[in-house]
Amino acid sequence: MEGTTSLRIQQAVRRGPPVTLSVNGEAMVAYAGETVATALRLLGFRRLRSSPRAGQPRGLFCAMGVCQECVVRVDGRTVPACLEPVRDGMSVVTHVDGRDGLSL
Amino acid sequence: MPDFDVAVVGGGIMGCATALQLAQHGMRVVVIERRRLGMEASGMNAGTLSLQIKRAALVPYALRGYELWKTMAARFGMDVGFHVRGGLTIAFTETEAEVLVERMGERRAAGVPLEIVSPARALEIEPGLSHRLVLASHCALDGYANSNLTGAAFRKALLRAGATVREGEAVSAIDRDGGTFVIRAGEAVSRAARVVLAGGAWLDRLVGFLGFNLPLHCRVNMVSVTERCPPIVRAMVGHALGLLTLKQSDNGTVLIGGGWQGTGDRDGDRATEVIPENLLGNMQLAVYAVPALVHTRLVRTWHGFEAHVPDFLPLAGALPGIDNAFVIGCVRGGYTIGPYMGQLLGDLILGRRPGLPLFDPGRYIHRPMVALTAP
Ligand SMILES: Cc1cc2nc3c(=O)[nH]c(=O)nc-3n(C[C@H](O)[C@H](O)[C@H](O)COP(=O)(O)OP(=O)(O)OC[C@H]3O[C@@H](n4cnc5c(N)ncnc54)[C@H](O)[C@@H]3O)c2cc1C
Ligand code: FES
Repeated sequence: MEGTTSLRIQQAVRRGPPVTLSVNGEAMVAYAGETVATALRLLGFRRLRSSPRAGQPRGLFCAMGVCQECVVRVDGRTVPACLEPVRDGMSVVTHVDGRDGLSL
Repeated sequence: MPDFDVAVVGGGIMGCATALQLAQHGMRVVVIERRRLGMEASGMNAGTLSLQIKRAALVPYALRGYELWKTMAARFGMDVGFHVRGGLTIAFTETEAEVLVERMGERRAAGVPLEIVSPARALEIEPGLSHRLVLASHCALDGYANSNLTGAAFRKALLRAGATVREGEAVSAIDRDGGTFVIRAGEAVSRAARVVLAGGAWLDRLVGFLGFNLPLHCRVNMVSVTERCPPIVRAMVGHALGLLTLKQSDNGTVLIGGGWQGTGDRDGDRATEVIPENLLGNMQLAVYAVPALVHTRLVRTWHGFEAHVPDFLPLAGALPGIDNAFVIGCVRGGYTIGPYMGQLLGDLILGRRPGLPLFDPGRYIHRPMVALTAP
């Protein structure tokens, strides 16, 4: 379930301090040092955007900033989630495409 | 004895279109291109075939060029990416609106089928436009082609018409042996009865080989392309002051131009560089005109070299004072007009009556004055 389960290992892991993100308007917790892609994946988000023409689901693929399949909108900017570190208070919007841009 | 009736130096759209007309009418033609056909201006331009953005003096030529574009794929047996989308040129201020009305009035009088439309009508035609526009002109014929395909398409047509295409070596000398032009490119020597110089932004270098001078101005035009995005704009969009051309291709990418300048040296490795303020200005205007672009990312920006002479009119015709030598170039909006300009020059060389007047190169091309040296 997107945002409702955590896939994180619960024991014997040291993490950075917790930060709160807004994901599609809902407050969610991630940890400093994670990328947005990591945080979203561990929060259960697999679909990060839609393909531009057919609107098919796209998500984390190369995890190194090359393929652009993971782009989301962070604080109003379109960025690859796999390159963007989480920050406290950041707003993340998934499933973005050019049309959403009109209403954001 | 010459091996060819005509040697065309420079394989951009001007050289290729001239060569094609000649080859199709039975002449033995060689095209000599230092890179590959259509890799300079003719292969990297914005592909805009908009009639309403052409200077009034060139409109009759543009209309005929456009007709040739329409039938090119069928005639060449290859897709050239030609699309008709209709175009809107928009004004955001009263001053821009005045310029728009004046320029478009001239162009309509010259034969462009366009109309001035209200903001409401413009937005009905193209809902992707900014609501801040105050006036627009609309031409339903405006279209574009994919300039990446130009070289390959002309190569196919030229070979089919029996022309010879020599690519990969620059012409370094043009000598005369009696009535024959001897053209050297690398190891290859082409001997031809006539020569057509079609060197684009390097035309002054080519006429220099024959001892002529041409004061050429060279611009470094910028074009950019975005990532693919959902359909946000269907019409071709331009700006009243000519600072924007914009179109979304079928693959979802948006091509943005408008004649903004970069820097670069047309010689040597032809490296060019973006002027950041110009890129920003171009993109800001694009987003202002089509607001949905705001979240779309830019993928690539590039530049090409485009030449002109002070009166901004073409050079197309015979070189002064030398038999059987011709030039073609310096055509603003030359991608649209090129196919027709080539046909015209071809007709002149073939001794056919050209359908419209040519543009005497003798306006600007002269033999240099002999320098007076102290004894
Ligand atoms: C970035 C850019 C965007 C543009 N956008 C548009 C547009 O949207 N619509 C439009 O209508 N027009 C546009 N134009 C203008 C149009 O592209 C040009 O007017 C046209 O392509 C010029 O054609 P040409 O054959 O004269 O020059 P080129 O295409 O530059 O061809 C000249 C050829 O000569 C060759 N050459 C030079 N020296 C030698 C030598 N010594 N030996 C052998 N070969 C040589 C070169 O390699 C080159 O291939 C644009 C131009 C640029 C640069
Ligand atoms: S997953 Fe490929 S760019 Fe992020």
